[in-house]
Amino acid sequence: MKTAIRVMLLAALATMTTMTNAAQPEDKPFAEKKVVLQISDGDPSKQTLVLNVAGNIIRHYGADKVDVEIVAFGPGLRLLFKNNANGDRITGLVGSGVRFAACSNTVHNMGKKLGHDPELNSNATTVSAGVVRIIDLVSDGYVLVKP
Amino acid sequence: MTITVNKKRLYASAILCSLLSAPTYAANWLALQGTEPDSAAPRAKVWGFIQPEFSSTDGTKLKAGPWKGQNAIFNQMRPNLKTNEGFNVLRARVGVRGTGMPLDSNVNYFFLAEFGNNGITAEGGGSVKITDASVTLNHIPGARIRVGQFKTPGSEEGLQAIHVFDYINFTNATNGLLLERFFDGNGSGTNVVPGTPPTFNNSGDANRPNGPVSAFRDTGIQVFDIFKVGQWEHSYAVMIGNGNGITRGDNDDNKETYLYWSSELVFGGAGARRQGWKLFAWNQNGKRTLITEGAGEYDRTRSGLGTTFKKDKYRAAFEYMTADGMIFNGTDGGALPGASSNNGQTISSFNVETKGEADGMYVHFGYAITPELELDARYDVYNRMTDVAAKERKFETVTLGAQYFFNKKSRLIVNYEARKAEAPNQASTSNANQILDSIDDRIAAQLLIIF
Repeated sequence: MKTAIRVMLLAALATMTTMTNAAQPEDKPFAEKKVVLQISDGDPSKQTLVLNVAGNIIRHYGADKVDVEIVAFGPGLRLLFKNNANGDRITGLVGSGVRFAACSNTVHNMGKKLGHDPELNSNATTVSAGVVRIIDLVSDGYVLVKP
Repeated sequence: MTITVNKKRLYASAILCSLLSAPTYAANWLALQGTEPDSAAPRAKVWGFIQPEFSSTDGTKLKAGPWKGQNAIFNQMRPNLKTNEGFNVLRARVGVRGTGMPLDSNVNYFFLAEFGNNGITAEGGGSVKITDASVTLNHIPGARIRVGQFKTPGSEEGLQAIHVFDYINFTNATNGLLLERFFDGNGSGTNVVPGTPPTFNNSGDANRPNGPVSAFRDTGIQVFDIFKVGQWEHSYAVMIGNGNGITRGDNDDNKETYLYWSSELVFGGAGARRQGWKLFAWNQNGKRTLITEGAGEYDRTRSGLGTTFKKDKYRAAFEYMTADGMIFNGTDGGALPGASSNNGQTISSFNVETKGEADGMYVHFGYAITPELELDARYDVYNRMTDVAAKERKFETVTLGAQYFFNKKSRLIVNYEARKAEAPNQASTSNANQILDSIDDRIAAQLLIIF
């Protein structure tokens, strides 16, 4: 009987943990706000803008109280190219817990034009499709902002 | 645990970024003019600036010499030399720069055209000239390649972006030694023999420039790069060019070589007004070919070194330069080119010494009283033809200036230039010294807007 109760408790605990993880990443356990920033514009000034917005959000709420993910696709993917001039700023934001997602579809399409897939910033995580990633995050309660 | 790993990665990345040699993209003229930010440059960014100005001298006439009583070239407004006071749109430039294919940061371009009224557009016909047209290839680490027409790696005063220049006029040495005028002859064929047709050496030729001034530019190929080591930024450039200025092809088989090095301790900021302490040195060497009076090939060498400092409210700069070989030597008697002497026997012409020596320097201090108002002071001296006592001339100018910034892209510059010159090896009563005593102080105001 005790064993059965233990199994049930463990199962319940595992379920709760899974639900929590689905809602917010494990490195942001105390996040009260969740924001996804979209960059899909080729204008270089938008790169600066989206990084500024992310920085402002972190400063306002505090790094532990807000969960920010920047999703790049289309022409905006250049932000996450390995040699991007904003690399240091990206590294700094990663240090505050900001995540960067790169669209695989865009990577492959750009690869066709370049003759090879572009090398990405090591801080970027590839997702199958940038727009799908945004839809999923919005479904999970993230607020979408497109600076 | 995950956080720890991320932090380690962070620290490692930060250390790598700061210690490894890596290109940077700001406050370095080679980088600012020849490269674009990696993966962050537009396909085509349109930009430019306009500099309308007012300039005035007393218009003192020549006090001695064959052109006594006539207009003195140094008291007239450049480039037209028609008046000693007036308005002019000195520069009006429009350019496009960026990457042809934004996905590929390995190739970028720079294009700029001049619509203003200055030494670029006043000579050689046409009212618009292309000043810059270059392509940079960034494929080889440590050896970027720039090809086309662009500013040559050299003197800070010439290489810096003109729209962040703290003054209206260049220093005497930079104007005389580096802002090159190109001539077909040495200016010796100026005699006029009354009653006889002009001959090759008696043509009454004013020896006007055969086209635009160099504008500190050349057409050629440059290998360069920028390296960051800690807080220091080092850069180098090696260039081979025609040595024939802008909007021309080459006129001989000789090629100009340019060498440049700079190291800068970067304090902070970015762009053309980044704060830092920079040391630099440069050399350019080549030959010039004359085809009329004094036809032949002549050496032309320039070298210099200097430093710049900019931190918080303070700015300072110093540069020393030397010249050997061909040297621009003004006009006969300080008169306007083409002016007939009072006895009608000579036409004043531009002159070039085909073998001479010269040196010069400037020192500059600036202080920003408020974010909107900056005060500047500059002393410069130019010693021309120091190897021939009779021909030696010394030009000195103290410039007091103020800059009022309406915003970061527009400002008003006001300069007062206390100017004097002398022939140091001649008596004060000599013609040369009396002519040089004709030099007036100059006041100028300039509006600048960058878009």
